[in-house]
Amino acid sequence: MNRHAGWSLVLMALLAAQACAPKKAEAPALAYDPKDFGGTWDRYPQPTENSGQDPSVVPRPEPIPAPPLKPEFKAPWDAEQKKIAAANAAGEPIATGYTHCIPDGMPAMMMAMFPMEVLQTPKQVTVIQEAYNQVRRIYLNDTLPAVEDAEPGFWGHSTGKWEGNDFVVETIGIKDNVRFRNAPHSAAMRIHERMRVIDADHFENDVTVEDPEYLTGPWSWKWVYQRRPNYKMYEYVCEDNREFADPVTGKARLRIDHK
Amino acid sequence: MKSRILMALLACVMSTVALAHHSFAMFDAEKQLRLTGKVTAFTWQNPHVYIQLEGKDPNDPKAKVRTWTIECANPGILNRAGWKFNMIKKDDLITVIVGPLRTGEPGALLKQVKLPDGRIFGNGGPAGPPNISIEDGKPLPAGAKP
Repeated sequence: MNRHAGWSLVLMALLAAQACAPKKAEAPALAYDPKDFGGTWDRYPQPTENSGQDPSVVPRPEPIPAPPLKPEFKAPWDAEQKKIAAANAAGEPIATGYTHCIPDGMPAMMMAMFPMEVLQTPKQVTVIQEAYNQVRRIYLNDTLPAVEDAEPGFWGHSTGKWEGNDFVVETIGIKDNVRFRNAPHSAAMRIHERMRVIDADHFENDVTVEDPEYLTGPWSWKWVYQRRPNYKMYEYVCEDNREFADPVTGKARLRIDHK
Repeated sequence: MKSRILMALLACVMSTVALAHHSFAMFDAEKQLRLTGKVTAFTWQNPHVYIQLEGKDPNDPKAKVRTWTIECANPGILNRAGWKFNMIKKDDLITVIVGPLRTGEPGALLKQVKLPDGRIFGNGGPAGPPNISIEDGKPLPAGAKP
């Protein structure tokens, strides 16, 4: 073996060693921005509207559990749920806030009953729900007021911050009569949300409601949204509902126009 | 067995819908009616679009014309289902399939509408499908796509 051949062998061995050495894992470039929630979204999966969703793409979220109410609040809540179900079964549904053109408020507006638009600007994230023209403003890195100083409203007061690619939001100040799934709550209720883009067309929202006065522990569920590209939101003024609440029975009825 | 599973799934979906918006339980989804007649008003507004129809069941020789208040979904749902705000006009002759009020009053929830030009539209998902044919009022086979 001459010197050249010897060096060639050494070089080949070095190259082979380099080729076989474990490579540093390189994160694949994402085809989307994991911090971009901007755009228009449908809830996922859609219960009925055919928007071309393929529910096999992303796992369906689990059904929302019943609120973990303390026993003294759970008994009346159970009774009310039974009353509502019985009224529906009898074909005489009880009028709801919707009958009176009252919007969902928080957290119900985030179920995205109708399409939802998210606008991201440097200091705030704005969520618009088509149903009832609901608008929710999440101020970035804001300081929430103390609970006793938080003026109650439908959407309350929200602050958001980034933890990695998670957008973490805290909300307080929801009016007593603004209820999700008919669950009563106190002024101390806090709604925690952790939103995460999961692929180019979906994001998820892990919601946890805490209320030491009414709940035995956290009430948690997940909502998932699918992008609805190029959608232009419709306006929604609840102008004249011909469904009305019967003043005696509280049941929903339909106003008949005889002309 | 399969049909039972299907019914259970359907019931589950329907209950989700009821939770999602509001209950349509005041309307009878089973005893649907086919009505033909003249539009006296078409109101495109939230939370529901309404058709006023001077109509009757064309297959029933004893039926009298009544003025029906017919509830549709809202403009957003209907736009997404292909409707247009001006596709129905006063004095149009149309045919509808509806779920009538259980009270017997002339009010109903729309299931399907056939326009003078022959186009047929549903009322969006939450209102549910028709169970009789808009062409002749005969029952549609269970599970048939309207």
